Amino acid sequence: MARKEQENPQLDMTPMIDVVFELIIFFVVTIKQEDIFSKLNANRPAPNSAPSTSEENDNQIKIDIGPGGMVFNGRGVSLKELDRNIKQLSATSKKSTVLVRCTMDSPHKYLVDALDTCNKYGMYNLSIFSM
Amino acid sequence: MARKSQENPQLDMTPMIDVVFELIIFFVVTLTQANAKDETVRLEDGKHGIELTPDELPPTHLIVDVARTGRISMCDVTITSAELGRRVKERMRKYGEFPVMIRADYRAKHKAVAEVMNACTQNGIWKLSFVAVYDRKSEKKR
Repeated sequence: MARKEQENPQLDMTPMIDVVFELIIFFVVTIKQEDIFSKLNANRPAPNSAPSTSEENDNQIKIDIGPGGMVFNGRGVSLKELDRNIKQLSATSKKSTVLVRCTMDSPHKYLVDALDTCNKYGMYNLSIFSM
Repeated sequence: MARKSQENPQLDMTPMIDVVFELIIFFVVTLTQANAKDETVRLEDGKHGIELTPDELPPTHLIVDVARTGRISMCDVTITSAELGRRVKERMRKYGEFPVMIRADYRAKHKAVAEVMNACTQNGIWKLSFVAVYDRKSEKKR
């Protein structure tokens, strides 16, 4: 056999290196960088309890979320305007509860936006109520 | 024997390399199955939330996906909200309180999210977390 006649048999590395490079290229191309996620914590009042009314203090901040966007103090607001309002309110007290009331047909996006804005200004007492 | 007659025997690496590659493929395939999730879910940005690091979550945590269509799933397996409620109850009995992470699509209607939240609150989980994107690496949002 050819092999036996070799004086100094050497392992041929070339195909292995080829394959390893092929694998490196494969993984570089297929691996996509993962997004980094965050979590937004919120409390959920019992499903059958009515949204807090007169007996709660007036410190409670209410954000309404409908299919078209966010309503704050009875006025439709953009995310920027809500940001400004929450900023002002957080300056006086960060302890007050923010009640986010969502209608059933509102997109989840607005809820996340509202929670994110509250988190931005350090208001962590968040409750979600569904209407 | 042919082997003994060699002057300078060399270890044949080929089978070892074969086995190692086989193992790599095995682990790549099984690891991706372990974190199965609904790949259609696209999340809203939440840059001010608490950054999520995988090892910070306790092993008892539960991730519930809500797709754009309102499909509720866990590990990419569709479940009803009643079934979710049963699982939450069972898990609550075994481990006590545990974190629930809701991965809801930004286009999903609140109705489906409310169903998930109700399934949790009815079984004693009051604190819920929504997953958002802290730092977006992919460019495919909208």
